[in-house]
Amino acid sequence: MNLTVPDRRSRQDRDGFGAKLKKLISDFSIHYMWEKKWFFIAMIVGAIMLNLPNPEGLSREGMIVLTMSLVATILFVTEPIPLPAVALLIILGQVFLLGSSSSDVAKTLWNDSVLFILGSLMLAVAVVKQKLDKRIAWIIVRITGTKTSNICFGISVVSGLLASFIGEHTVAAMMLPVGITLVTLTSDDPKKVRNLAAVLLFSIAYGCSVAGIGTPSGGARNAIMIGYWREFFYDPTNPETQRFIIDYVRWMMFAYPMFLIQLPFVTLILFFTFKPEYRDLSRAVVKLRAQVENEGPMKATDWVSIILFLLVLIGWIFVSDTVGMGTIAILGATAFLVAGLVRWEDINSGVNWGVVLLYAAAISLGVEMKVTGAALWVAENFLAILTPLGANEGFGLWAAVSALTTLVTNTMSNGAAVAVLGPIVLKLAVAAQESPIVIGFITAISSAFAYLTVIGTPACTIVYASGYLKTTDFLKLGWKMVLMSTIIMLTAAAIYWPMLGV
Amino acid sequence: MSDQDNTTESRTPLSREDRFRILVCIDGSDESYQCLRYAAKLGGGVDADIVLVYVRPADQGLRSGGLQVNVARENMLNWGLELPGIKYLKKGRDILIEMGIMGTDWEVKTTHTGVEGDPLGDNKIEYINEDGKEIVLKMKVASDVASGILQQWELGPYDIIIMGASGRGRGLAKSLWDPAVAEKVALNAPCSVLLARGLDVGHGHLICIDGSQRSMDTVRKDAYLASRCECPVSLLSIAQDVESEPEAQKNIDAAVAELTAMDITIANAETRVGNPVEEIVEAGPDYSVVVVSESNRTGLQRIFMKSVAFQVLRQSYVSVMVVR
Repeated sequence: MNLTVPDRRSRQDRDGFGAKLKKLISDFSIHYMWEKKWFFIAMIVGAIMLNLPNPEGLSREGMIVLTMSLVATILFVTEPIPLPAVALLIILGQVFLLGSSSSDVAKTLWNDSVLFILGSLMLAVAVVKQKLDKRIAWIIVRITGTKTSNICFGISVVSGLLASFIGEHTVAAMMLPVGITLVTLTSDDPKKVRNLAAVLLFSIAYGCSVAGIGTPSGGARNAIMIGYWREFFYDPTNPETQRFIIDYVRWMMFAYPMFLIQLPFVTLILFFTFKPEYRDLSRAVVKLRAQVENEGPMKATDWVSIILFLLVLIGWIFVSDTVGMGTIAILGATAFLVAGLVRWEDINSGVNWGVVLLYAAAISLGVEMKVTGAALWVAENFLAILTPLGANEGFGLWAAVSALTTLVTNTMSNGAAVAVLGPIVLKLAVAAQESPIVIGFITAISSAFAYLTVIGTPACTIVYASGYLKTTDFLKLGWKMVLMSTIIMLTAAAIYWPMLGV
Repeated sequence: MSDQDNTTESRTPLSREDRFRILVCIDGSDESYQCLRYAAKLGGGVDADIVLVYVRPADQGLRSGGLQVNVARENMLNWGLELPGIKYLKKGRDILIEMGIMGTDWEVKTTHTGVEGDPLGDNKIEYINEDGKEIVLKMKVASDVASGILQQWELGPYDIIIMGASGRGRGLAKSLWDPAVAEKVALNAPCSVLLARGLDVGHGHLICIDGSQRSMDTVRKDAYLASRCECPVSLLSIAQDVESEPEAQKNIDAAVAELTAMDITIANAETRVGNPVEEIVEAGPDYSVVVVSESNRTGLQRIFMKSVAFQVLRQSYVSVMVVR
């Protein structure tokens, strides 16, 4: 045969200037315009809204803030640009569109909630770096034995208990290798352990997700809602408003029982959905034990890190209402650094600082929603839509707020969902003459019901990085989890929370 | 260090430009390993290199609540666990060893390239034999999978990209609004792209011709590819109406003459009358691969102007190769 390798370069060399220019324009249209289409759509929507006449009852400033919120929401959901860039756009919008001074905008960016998010992220890296995960894994299997269902329940309980205090992302990062190790020690062939991997890894992810609501330090969304209650309703000159200062213990009284009730249901739903190929993991547990024994006994540094963490926890419970949760979190992170238990370089590379900026800007925009009256205007109009459906008060309103939050949180991070929806639902509570505390809790807790997508909760994202799960697994399992969590939360709102005096 | 830093050039009989280079996209699916087996048939000779690439989209910190996913990945590595991409690539390597395409005694070179914002970065393992043949496992980080594959082409270059296709029958609107990874690569890659759907090597290539100079180029290029995998070659020309049938037959005759001159045996040559896209899609299931020419258009025009190649790509039941 008379064949030679076709010259892959000759064609490019033959192309003239016109062809190259045409290709350049084509590449630009594909790679930039098309990839960024949602950015341009958001900007066009924003430009149209800013040129519309003000709706009745909404000030010009309110319309501008509402426009910024809608544009930011589109960008949060579709992510055509890096999310920290959305934060920068919010800051620029406040200066250029609202006419605020840059110093005033800068002041609204920092508060205790943002300090808490910053400190708890640093703490998260510090805790993961202590490498206590193998010991935790061993404690779990020692208590649960080798039966798969018991191990899964044990993983959910331990992941949940830890995540309720130190954040779901921290525990998911720590426990992921535990789950994968148990899978790989059972079989090297992923097809033979497909369902086993699903039940073990979802036990971690959903164990963490249901726990994130348990305490204020369980997730950024909780700190954001606590910040909003204080910002929207607390008046230092009025002792009546003191009830809007929700401290660590009071939050736990509302939310912790809900987390505990959900735990057994997580395992039940998992085993109902995925039937694991192995009912007993004796082989894997024996090998895991050998791995843990190589670690040797607990070292002094291990004990120091446990003591430091317990001190942070005590600080949150007993003194956070006076010095702020953020201060305690920063103090804890500093203590780990001073004790030499973690390097700054590890913290620097482990924390996505852009997230802190993003939450700061989103909270700042939320406060502007309140100040300009935009939040109240949206709340009143939303209530007008709910009234004919009979969902303008009581149980109907709770269910509507929960459904709205669940919908939003499945399309963006749960912290961003609370930052965006918080001002609206709190004003909605005022307009509907409902308790802002109940509505606030429903929003913060429902934001954890992001079981349907990979990006919904940090724990799901981290566990998905293992490569063992499919995106469709989240849908298959997630709707059952949403249903279970919603029923438990609405029951708590109707029966349990009134006992706490809201 | 990039792929272009080729330190083995001095002892290879063929320079990189003269070698037949295949880029196979691996994502752990069965389809991607079928692609690899086909690549092994195409690139079995000593003059061919096979590069297996797994692209991991860069992590979004917000999705993991502000804690970088690499903290979890580093924790997995500390436990001695392999990251998913590495596992998939190693499985690919084992398949090539099993097929006898590579040996276990080849020289091994490992390269790590830091990527801004992702400490785990790009990782590459090169296996090189005494003839200079390379099998490369590359784990790459990019903003998205399609961009990563296209960036890898730039480091090559490559003669052909082979990857699994998206589901059949994605509508024009969906392809236009949110193109699948395979569509993006097929649309933008500067080289030939084979999108695999149930790729079964034995049934040969069906080359679709329309009489243009471009389609004659396709005939020649595919003849070369088919000869590498010893696949039979068939020809198909579509006349839009009965009056145009003689012209379609003329196109077939020209292609037959071209292939005969190249000493290629033609398994089948036929003309059909009807809608080109429908006829090609209907003829496809008798073959392993349907071969179409890239249209003259570029970028979005290919979708907007309803290029036959891209309609076949979306609707075909079998693998489609867009030849450039």
